[in-house]
Amino acid sequence: MDLFQNLAAAAPQLFTVSTMILMMVGTLAGLLAGAIPGFTIAMAVVLVLPFTFTMSAVQGLATMIAVYVGGLSGGLMSGILTGIPGTPSSVATTFDGYPMARGGKPGLALGIGVWSSFFGGVIASLILMVVAPQLALIGLEFQPVDYFALIIFALTVTASLAGDQMLKGLMAALFGLLVATVGSDVVFGQPRFTFGIDSATQGFAFLPVLVGLFAFSRLLNDVRDPEAAHKALGGHDAHAVNIDYIHSAKEVLKRWGNVIRSAVIGVFVGVLPAAGSTISNILAYDQAKKTSKDGKDFGKGAVDGIIAPETANNATAGGALIVMMALGLPGDIMTAIMLGALLIHDVIPSPSFISDEPVIAYSIFLAFFVANFMMLALQSVTLRGFVLVTKVKMYMLTAVILFYCALGIFALNNVGYDMWTLFIFGVAGFILRAFGFPIVPMVLGVVLGQIAEARLSQVFARSDDIAIFLTRPWSLFFLLLACFSIVFPAYQKHLGKAAWTKYYPSVLLIVMALPVFMMPGIIRPVAAIGMAIAGVVMLIRRYRTEPQQEEVQQ
Amino acid sequence: MSLNRDFFVALFFLVLSGVMFVATFQLPPPMFGQMSSALWPRTILIPLAILSFVLLIISQRQSADKEPRRSLREWLVYYKNPILCFGLFFLFLVTMPVLGMLIGGLAYVFLTLSVLGGWSPRKLGLHAVITAIFVVGMWAVFTQLLGVFLPEGTLLRVF
Repeated sequence: MDLFQNLAAAAPQLFTVSTMILMMVGTLAGLLAGAIPGFTIAMAVVLVLPFTFTMSAVQGLATMIAVYVGGLSGGLMSGILTGIPGTPSSVATTFDGYPMARGGKPGLALGIGVWSSFFGGVIASLILMVVAPQLALIGLEFQPVDYFALIIFALTVTASLAGDQMLKGLMAALFGLLVATVGSDVVFGQPRFTFGIDSATQGFAFLPVLVGLFAFSRLLNDVRDPEAAHKALGGHDAHAVNIDYIHSAKEVLKRWGNVIRSAVIGVFVGVLPAAGSTISNILAYDQAKKTSKDGKDFGKGAVDGIIAPETANNATAGGALIVMMALGLPGDIMTAIMLGALLIHDVIPSPSFISDEPVIAYSIFLAFFVANFMMLALQSVTLRGFVLVTKVKMYMLTAVILFYCALGIFALNNVGYDMWTLFIFGVAGFILRAFGFPIVPMVLGVVLGQIAEARLSQVFARSDDIAIFLTRPWSLFFLLLACFSIVFPAYQKHLGKAAWTKYYPSVLLIVMALPVFMMPGIIRPVAAIGMAIAGVVMLIRRYRTEPQQEEVQQ
Repeated sequence: MSLNRDFFVALFFLVLSGVMFVATFQLPPPMFGQMSSALWPRTILIPLAILSFVLLIISQRQSADKEPRRSLREWLVYYKNPILCFGLFFLFLVTMPVLGMLIGGLAYVFLTLSVLGGWSPRKLGLHAVITAIFVVGMWAVFTQLLGVFLPEGTLLRVF
């Protein structure tokens, strides 16, 4: 009942003419940005951010969400029409979308992609509305020590996603945390690591750092090769077609099982820190291929092969928003930027955010829901714009955006120092990329650094006993998960080859049962017993099957 | 000793960790039983130094870089575009107090476009049009619509 009351309170704030126009412009911009290969959604949201400074919190966030949703769907246009994914989140869409388009059905392929994106987004927004407030209730149990452990987990899991570059991922995350210590001490506000430079006492605002590391360095990477710099953004294959909405809607609705499964995969991946739509679209495609009766048609223009990735990538946005809204922690670049936008409007995300600021929180839920309808309506219009934009050359876009980055970053606090921060971290990001360092862990390190220090200082203000990290159930839970996430890349690499990988899932279940058992109430301890029993059974089965397999091999 | 890029990265982070760790001793002592302002940086620097050391050891097990070693000249040619862009952006920032955002922006975007795109008369014309539309357009949006006071510079007093 609270849900509907809160939605009713938020609706008048969101459904104003100006906000709807801004959202439509945002969706259009996102669709275009997402469609341009090499131009990421995060970059589009970063570029929109300065325009939101003068808007109300609801208007600003609604516009950014519209760009986000538009961007997630825009990638399918170039992926299907040119075979070049507009964003990493639509890589798997090209596997079947492009063959179908080349097979003479580009309108149908686009329609399937658009409807799948729409359903993915709508399902995710419903899950967001229901789950986020419940997760926030769990978040209210968190004490500073639990938060600190959660941040450590977020950073280790982000680093672990760097795969073979795990070591560099961890170093990048630590370097990001170190960057966040420059400026003023969180507890007393005393200068720290300023080395006699007065302006350095301001520290590094995280948005200039984020734009420098992420957008600035990436743009210069794109123009490193003079030939690539002179190429048109989308090749020369793009051409306008009419989207076959009716036929494609029927095709998608016939495969509702795939739609729901892919949406759930998308939301789940979105909840995991840093795992974003780049992973979810491929994971959903893989699952669709495994479960489809027409698995052999995948890669040749299968309808399910377009539905799965497009549903999942839009649904991922819902999952990422769940964590940010419920726990106040950004899990990826997109939600880090959203967090920055909230802070600019003096809204501090935390587990009590949804209950303290229900109008803003539920406006975000509604905006995410509405943006999907706008995306559906505006896709045809954008298709014509996309064909024009693809003719633009990379170097032109780079020069204009670099200037725009400086302009937008200056507008953040009206100080020139931020533009220098942008420049310094642009150079740093470029060098780190060249040395094979993943950028995302470092960005999250910078974003989460001050939050982590503030939480740690709260822990020590209460007690000097560091055993509290192991005696608090949630803290222990996240620290154990952090340990397992560090081992995860090795598990993936040696899966099926090394004997120990057989026991990894069962050991994970047994070990994680301990903190869950320590949690209050009845349900969670009972669930912990179930986890432990399941883990032991799995362990015994694995142990017993191993000698039998060896005998068979002999 | 194998001089690959991981070796130099590890060395850089080891030196950085050392310098920053020493700098933590310059920080004031804690007050009122609160957490010392040096504790958190040290908590970061110790694992960073350990991981850098691990990377250093791993780098010594690897062979030298497979990519052909470039001379300084080749290296400058390879990274010509980014270096020029960074250089122009640096000049843009340095000259900001004099040129301001509008004139500085026009000069910066036009030069960047021409450095990356070429200097033929046709291209220069195209670059001039792009620069005028986007820089003046963005400048107008920020100053007139959003009410942001952008740096005006000493050359052009707008406000």
